[in-house]
Amino acid sequence: MWCTKSAAERVYLARTLIFMSIYVLVTAIVSWIFAHRHPQGTLVYLLAVLPTLPIFAVIASLGKYLVEERDEFVRTVLVQCSLWATAVVLAFATCLGSLQKYVPSVNKSPGLQNYWVFVVWFLAFAAAQPLVRWRYK
Amino acid sequence: MKNRLRVLRAERNWSQADLAERLEVSRQSVNAIETGKFDPSLPLAFRLARLFEMTIEQIFTDDGLT
Repeated sequence: MWCTKSAAERVYLARTLIFMSIYVLVTAIVSWIFAHRHPQGTLVYLLAVLPTLPIFAVIASLGKYLVEERDEFVRTVLVQCSLWATAVVLAFATCLGSLQKYVPSVNKSPGLQNYWVFVVWFLAFAAAQPLVRWRYK
Repeated sequence: MKNRLRVLRAERNWSQADLAERLEVSRQSVNAIETGKFDPSLPLAFRLARLFEMTIEQIFTDDGLT
């Protein structure tokens, strides 16, 4: 069945869920600290970087999964999906950069921050999977 | 690369899932190899050959050969 998961995939999904939960928790805590405690000095930099650490862990987790997955076909699909996601992110970032340069309203939009790049990559990675698998049907 | 996997599997009354279990790969791997859309690595080709007690050349045919 298409939904059958290997041991490596189950471990990867569990790890990702844990790191994403940590990310949500840390982001909420850091946002609260910035809103209510107004940190200053070096602490500002440390706190600002803190929510990105679980994201690094998610990326590392995916890399580890690619190494641990024994099914070479699944590995091939995942690598192709990550290439598609990288292509989407490069196009997205280039387009966004151009919009921010030439369209003042986009440049000032608080919703378009660089940290969305990872979210876009992850969504593109997920969206590419059924498409890539479909090519092999 | 063309192959005789579907025929060999049918001769043994194995489903794709049965073959996948014996090879310790996913069913979609077996399907992709059978349809010729995914070429297995040499180690997996050897595992297939051992499983069917044949040589790799008896299972797979190089498209470049006439």
